[in-house]
Amino acid sequence: MDTQLLTSAIVAGNRKDAKALTEQALAEGLPPQEVLDSLIAGMDEIGGKFQRNEAFVPEMLIAARAMKEAMAVLEPVLLAAGIKPEFTAVIGTVQGDLHDIGKNLVAMMWRGANFSVVDLGTNVPPEKFVEAAREHQADLVGLSALLTTTMPSMKATIEALRSAELPKAKVMIGGAPITPEFAKEIGADGFAADAASAVTVARELVAG
Amino acid sequence: MAHRYNLMTGQERVKRMFARQEQDSLPRMESFWEDTLTRFKDEGLWGDPNDLLGSDFRGLCWSSPFPYPGQNITIAEDEETITTRDEWGQVNRSWKHRTGTPEHLRFPCMEKEDWENEVKPRLLANGPSVNLQDAKRSLAIGRRRGQWCHLTGLETFEITRHLLGDELTMIAMLEDPEYLVDVSRTVTDLVLRDFDYLWENCGPADGVWIYGDMAFRSGVICGPPLYRELIWPDHKRMADWAHDHGIPFIFHTDGDVNSVIEDYIKAGFDCLQPLEAKAGMDVRHLCPTYGKDLSFFGNCDVMIYATGDRERIEEEIRSKCEVGKATLGYVYHSDHSIPPSVSLETFEFIVDCVDRYGNYN
Repeated sequence: MDTQLLTSAIVAGNRKDAKALTEQALAEGLPPQEVLDSLIAGMDEIGGKFQRNEAFVPEMLIAARAMKEAMAVLEPVLLAAGIKPEFTAVIGTVQGDLHDIGKNLVAMMWRGANFSVVDLGTNVPPEKFVEAAREHQADLVGLSALLTTTMPSMKATIEALRSAELPKAKVMIGGAPITPEFAKEIGADGFAADAASAVTVARELVAG
Repeated sequence: MAHRYNLMTGQERVKRMFARQEQDSLPRMESFWEDTLTRFKDEGLWGDPNDLLGSDFRGLCWSSPFPYPGQNITIAEDEETITTRDEWGQVNRSWKHRTGTPEHLRFPCMEKEDWENEVKPRLLANGPSVNLQDAKRSLAIGRRRGQWCHLTGLETFEITRHLLGDELTMIAMLEDPEYLVDVSRTVTDLVLRDFDYLWENCGPADGVWIYGDMAFRSGVICGPPLYRELIWPDHKRMADWAHDHGIPFIFHTDGDVNSVIEDYIKAGFDCLQPLEAKAGMDVRHLCPTYGKDLSFFGNCDVMIYATGDRERIEEEIRSKCEVGKATLGYVYHSDHSIPPSVSLETFEFIVDCVDRYGNYN
């Protein structure tokens, strides 16, 4: 089968087609890595459209949902073939903040980009980020905050991560009040203004 | 200390602002986070900081059609947080001892059937969501103070997101637009029914002010074509209601809405607020570009206020008030709400700057 169909199903957010085509591709003996790459290409395409204002949050959401359904079919096959996501990310909303919409969207996009994502939820204290980053040998730690009042928690979390000596773990931050200047000021490795650019920045950071 | 020219009442000032007629000074108002009010009180402010500023605006009501009015059921709690089912039917986890956006755990319309069989029938069976006695009292105070008194309520996209949650709302926009439109038309009818009820029983108001966040920092949440097809007709109905009653329509949205301003003008919006600076909204561009068709309300950057840097704060207020005054169609407000990182002393300086740069010559 033409793997472009898989990519197109993800871009269109057509979950039924994404699932059925994944099943068909595997049944026809396509290598699972090739199937995965085609699905990821779809998420990349929708992410690019988002950044060019050609697609918006609703289109991103249905694409991510189609990806999730396709991955439910593909993941056991990948595992059986010994193929694991190359990178692991830990994500959470920092201590003092219960807001989760942005964080959930970024987690969804990272999963779509084939990161293994450990979502710590909201109101996450610095030590919990450190513990999870160590336990999962995270390549990336994502910190989210909605409120100006919880921005200092980001700084505290980055300080805790640096003190814990986890050289592999790059830290990126995001959220409504966050600016690139603030990210630089508190020593974050990266900043993303939206869920689509969170994928681009994450890939750049883990690539070193 | 500067002094505001106070030759007009707030009501006159705002009416003249909408008519692009000369005013003595810029109309003004401010919003605050709860924690900011606590801080100001701790630092010695007695009363409402809007009295310190001299607010020209007064809300009469808050139209918010809840499916479960009065509901507040505690489901779980720990030392820091409490999980409740509220008037919307949402299950949320919130802080017990401070303010902040809650974590949304469940929404009342997780399935379309929840809307059709439970939530919609409840909404239609409920009476007005506004309190008539409170509105009458507020109107009497507003009239005594000479303020511009407005009907206030939520707009359709905001209400829909309260009922379905963000994710299902946005998926429905693409996959089941008829469902989305049914929710949108129904809740808009209810808000307008509230306004009719108050107009008849409380008396005429000076304007309508509708709240709904349509955008985030990088742009609009849904694309302009989807907005035009699904949401815009109800926005226009709300603006039409105001105009049919001879009063202007203010729309509140956070985020970057630059790409839909023309649509807002076509819908009949008269004023846009609060114009979030960090999202790229800037009255120094908006006023010269759209100032004939649209008034602008806000845009002074709270992130600059939070620095406490007086030079930067003064320049922020000066530059935005000056360009706003040039169109006669500008109202002072911050670009969101004053955060608790702003001290009372800084806020007093902000008021002084608004006095200094808000006067018309």
